[in-house]
Formats: sequence, C-alpha cells, structure tokens
Amino acid sequence: MAQQTTSVDHDAETDDEFRARIRRWFAENAPGRRPRDPNERKAWVRAFHASMYDARMTGPSWPVEYGGMGLSFARQVIYQEEAARARVPSPLGTGLGIVAPTIIKYGTPEQRERWLGPMLRQDLIWCQGYSEPGAGSDLPALRTTARREGDMYIVNGQKVWTTHGSDADVFFTLVRTGTQESRQKGITYLIIDADSPGITVRPLRDITGAAHFAEVFFDDVEVPVDNRIGEENEGWPLVRTSLGHERAAGAMNQATNYRRILDELIDLVRERGLGSDLIIRDRIADFEIRVRLMKYNASRVINDIIVRGEPGAASSVSRLFITMFEQELHEFAVEMLGADGIVTRGSDLAVQKGRWLMGFIATRASTIGAGTSEIQRNTIAEQVLGLPRDPAMPAR
Amino acid sequence: MITGWSEEHDQLREVVRRFLLEKSNPERVRELADGGAAGDPAVWRQMAEQLGLQGLAVPEQYGGTGMGPVELGVVMEELGRALYVGPYFSTVALAAQALTACADTTAQAAFLPRIADGSLTATVAVSDTDLGFDTTDVATTAERGGGAEWTVSGTKRYVVDGGTAGLILVAARIGDEVGLFAVDADQSGVRATPVETLDITRAVASVEFTDAAATRIDTGDADAIARAGDLATAAFAAEQIGGASAALDMTVEYAKIRVQFERPIGSFQAIKHRCADLLVQIESGRSAAFYAAALLADGDPEGAIATSAAAAWCATAYAKSSRENVQFHGGIGYTWECDAHLYLRRATVSTIVLGAPTAHRVRIADLMEV
Repeated sequence: MAQQTTSVDHDAETDDEFRARIRRWFAENAPGRRPRDPNERKAWVRAFHASMYDARMTGPSWPVEYGGMGLSFARQVIYQEEAARARVPSPLGTGLGIVAPTIIKYGTPEQRERWLGPMLRQDLIWCQGYSEPGAGSDLPALRTTARREGDMYIVNGQKVWTTHGSDADVFFTLVRTGTQESRQKGITYLIIDADSPGITVRPLRDITGAAHFAEVFFDDVEVPVDNRIGEENEGWPLVRTSLGHERAAGAMNQATNYRRILDELIDLVRERGLGSDLIIRDRIADFEIRVRLMKYNASRVINDIIVRGEPGAASSVSRLFITMFEQELHEFAVEMLGADGIVTRGSDLAVQKGRWLMGFIATRASTIGAGTSEIQRNTIAEQVLGLPRDPAMPAR
Repeated sequence: MITGWSEEHDQLREVVRRFLLEKSNPERVRELADGGAAGDPAVWRQMAEQLGLQGLAVPEQYGGTGMGPVELGVVMEELGRALYVGPYFSTVALAAQALTACADTTAQAAFLPRIADGSLTATVAVSDTDLGFDTTDVATTAERGGGAEWTVSGTKRYVVDGGTAGLILVAARIGDEVGLFAVDADQSGVRATPVETLDITRAVASVEFTDAAATRIDTGDADAIARAGDLATAAFAAEQIGGASAALDMTVEYAKIRVQFERPIGSFQAIKHRCADLLVQIESGRSAAFYAAALLADGDPEGAIATSAAAAWCATAYAKSSRENVQFHGGIGYTWECDAHLYLRRATVSTIVLGAPTAHRVRIADLMEV
C-alpha cells in the first residue's frame, strides 16, 4: 500500500501548533455523514481509517515503525480530544488495544509486518476470541483445543460473546495446547483467519434484541504454526498486555460523552417540569457530581502518567466508577419517565426513540463484559489494597 | 484539563506525613483529646518555624510562602489522615484564607504575618446556628461606636476552636448588609463556652459577643465571603479524604491479620468487595478535592460547583469508610481502645461542618439551574 508520509518536525512544534495541525487535518478530511445502512457504514468506517493511516494520522500511541504516530502521552491526549471533536468513527472490531501491543511485544518481525499495518488501516477487522461457554471470568478453564500436526494446529471448540464476531476477518484467540488440568500453563495465543474452512459464526441475539455478539465454532480448523504469538503453552501472560495509556485517554472520552448525556437528561428534567421535585434535584446533583468526578479522575490519571510515568491508583478505580455511574444514570432516567420510560423504541410513544430504556438494557453489560465487576473488585482488593487471595481462586 | 500534582507535592506530603507520624500518633491524639482538643503549643510552633505550614497559603509579602489551595490540600489531607488535634483548620483554612479572599490590605498586614509565624491562632464564624458560610443565617449585629470603631453583639453557636482562637472573624449584620469583622477574643465582651460534640478530637465552642470591640474588614466585592467559604471547603474536603483513606488503611491492615475460619478475613469477598468499593469512592474523592483546589487557585468559575462536588462526595466517603472500619474490626471495633471510633467521631461531625452533603447537592442543583 502506498504511504503518503508528511514530514513534520515534532520536536519543533508546540502543543498548540500540534493541536491546530491535527484539527485542520480533521476539518479538511472530515469523515462525512454516518450512513444508516450497516454495510455502507462498515465501508465508510474502513475508508476513513485507511485515509488516516495513509496520511500518518492514526495510531497516536503506536510506534512510528509500525505505522503509528509515536506521540508522547500528552500529545496522545490532545489527539484524542481532537478526534472526539471531529467525531472520528471508532475502528471496527474489538480489543485492538490488547492485540496490537501483544504483537508488538511478543510477535516476530514477520508477524508485525503482516498484521500491524493492516490492523491500523482497518484492512483487517480483528475480534477477541477469549471467552467460552464455561470460561468467562474463569478464563483458565477454557476448553477449545489446538493439536499440533506438522506446521499446522488443528483447532476444535467453541468461543462465545465474540463482540462483532460476524464482522471479523481475524480472531485472536486463546486455545488449549496442554491438558485441561494444566489450566493457564497449557494455553497458547493463536491468530485465526475468519475465512478458514471449518469455522462457523453464528450471531447471538442479546438482551437488547440485537445481535452484537456471535458464537464461533471451530471444527478441525487448520491454523499455521506461524500464526502463534509467543511459545506453545505460554500464551497466558500475553493476555494482560494492553495499552494502559490508551485506556486512560479512553476514560477521558467517556467522561466527555457522559457530560453530554447528562446535559440531555437535565434538559429532559426541565422540559417535563420535574426540576422542582426535590428528590429528582438531589439525584441529578449526585449525577452531576459523578460526571465531574469521572473527568477529574481521568485528568488525574493523565497527570500522573505525564508527571510520574505511571497511571497510579485512580486508574484502577475509574472503570468501576464509570460502570456504576452509567447503570444508575439510565435506571434513574427510566424511573423518572414513569410510564413513558418503559416504551420501547419501535413505538410512537417512545421518548427520544427509547434511548434511555435502551441505555438501561445495554448497560447491563457494563458490569459483566471484559471482566465482571466482582472480578474487578477482587483485582482492586488484591493488587491495589494488597488483601490476601481467596484460597478458592487460582493463582494469578 | 488541569495538570498539577507534581513531584514537589509528593515531597511536601512526605515531609508532613513524617512529622505527624511522630507528633500526632494515636497515643498523642488521645492525650490531646482528653485535654479538650486545644492542641500542643510546642508542635504548633514547630509546624510554623520548621515546616512553615501556617504560612503555606499566605502571600510572601505577609511572611508566608505564597503557595495556594492545592498545597494546602496536600497538608490538610495528611492532617486528616493523622487525626491531628490543633487549630490548623480554623487558623489557616478558615481564617487565613478568608483574609486573603478579602480586599483589606490593612487587616492582611495586621494578622497574616502573625498567623504565618505561628504567634496568632484564629477562626471564622459566619452562620449563627451552624458551622457554615450561610450569610442568611446571621442575626448577630454590628454597630458603630462604643469606644471602639465598631461593636459586635450576638451568639455564634458553633465555632471551631472558638474557645482558644486569638482572633475571630465574625459575620455580623449592619442593617440589610452582612459584613465581616475582626474581633480580638481576649476581651471582656467575648465569652466562649465549650460545646461537647461527638468528635473529641476537634474543639467547638459557643461564642457570645456583647458589645465586643471589632474592626470592620473591607471584603471588597460581595462574593468574598462565599469565596472564603469555598476555599475553606475545598481544604476541608482534602482533610476528610485523608481521614477516609486512613480508616480504609486500618481496615485493610486488620483484614490481613485477623484470621477466622482458618483464613484471613481479608480473603473473603464480602470484605474485599466492600474495601474495593471504598477505594473507588476515596480515590474519586481525592481527585475531586484536588480539582476543587486547583480550580479555585486558578480563579476558574467552575470552582464553586467543583468545591461543592468535592464537599458532598468526600464527606460521604469519610462517613462510610469510618463506619465500615468499625464494622470490619468486629467486637474490637466497638471498644474505646480501638482507634476506629476516633475516625468515626471525626467523620460524623465533619459531615455537617461547612455544609452537609445534601446542602451541597442543593447548591449544585441551583448552580446548574436544574
């Protein structure tokens, strides 16, 4: 692919100049209107990400040698702010912040060459294949097997909760190469092409009524040994590689997003004349406090990274803080709307197309996906507070 | 986005924490509490002379170090953590900041250098019936004449360190207007009676003024008293988060060593999860207190809402953390010997000092024009 690189002397540029340059680029290359049709939308997202990649305007945290911008953390934050302002569509697929650093850290030069650029350019859409029907929070219990035969692994088993699994070109998976009893010591990190023979992807209708997830079945699927990241049976430590800094900037984006959503809810309170209800005022004030604290937490994490090079204690708590907030906010909105609140979006009676009710249903996933809140609390208790391990739980 | 918690703040925190470890350990806190919570004059002098803590938020021209609300927050957090007993909150967070929020250079020159060098303790009394800055709750009156320039009469029911402060800044009514007056507490027109509250580590007094000689302070613009209230409130939120943090640390230490059913109680999820939730609340409160201070330091208009957000959140976090600390210590937590009750006392009284969480949420809803 042709790369049109603009030569910029980053060191000579001030933060303000950098911001102005980024903003100008987004203004001149705006992604245009978001298509309603799902297939058109997919193509639209891919095309915009390809144009960003070709202009060297994406991958703010990625090293330059892998197609990224190699920005300092402070510049990444500026980039994220401008990208949010320009409403740049999020990349398709899931877990890019997990798989990319894993490949950068553990992959061979050939693997980096083969996957990183196309990932960033959205030529290949990636999805995470970790969870299984019997292995969610207890991931080391996974049962999908990979049997070595010459230069190939033969994969059999099933993955589930594969977000946007139907869109994927590539799955990054954990498979069992050791015995079941070996738990996390017999797990291998394998990258599997979605169009390999023997793969069946079945969309999974979720609680919202839509299909955001899929089940993925592997029936004697042949995967080249070259697709293995790291060594056989040593995939487990790779699971935790992720871009912590990217998460910090992401938390700021969420704070900005919920600021807007709360403002819309406050407008609704005013429209409905509920602002004089003392209980509603008190609840709104509490959400107002929390949406600000979300921003202050994110700012503090960013400050800590810039000053100390480490995210510190605030980063470990911000996810629980946000998930509790978003659930309670939507629960409150539905309750506040009374009968109008329980009308689904198909009905003419639905308030704002049923968005609050949809938010209520959709945020049930907030405290489950990517590790349940209970697991998060265990992690905080053990890793931040230093409380002893539950003897019933396996060692980390 | 505000950035600002720097390595210098870490160093300041470290110095204050080490000092308090020695001067404000639990045994010392109990001794001082038994003595009416007036504080230790020798420690007070060391704080001023060796560490310069009283002059932290005092401008350099008045003998201070000219730092501001953020640095004061760091110190207050450590004082709260150590349950420090003494007139720091009243003298520095309340009085010194009130003086700097006003426009009166004469009053500043008269009092701030003595506050900074540790020779003068002070406090502020705005509301008559509460510990807040609500100027609608002022029936105390000020009149011209009577030998002094002004005289003040009335009763402030709850004044922090009102029994020991050398200087009391009193809000009093002149007709429809509420003004701020400097009153020397060492005169016959001022009579303080200690008020026993749940918190034995912080002195509160009811102070009666009978034609007490007073000097009017030029507050400058009408918002000065509210601004002084915000500055004090942000500092106080930091103190509360320090206490909340200490109570959680106590819980965690105990949960690691206390064995029941042949395992440390901290290995049970019932304990773990509640500790994790407390940490979420406390760390968010720490962010809130810091940002409130930083926004006030910058004179940012968002400072008022941020301050009330920090106040409401940190008070709740401290109350919860101190109660959980008693609970997790079980029977031991209910004894006088265990320090848990000292935090419970401080936290519970702190909840209403400078406005209860509900009052701060009302203010936020008002400011947001919900």
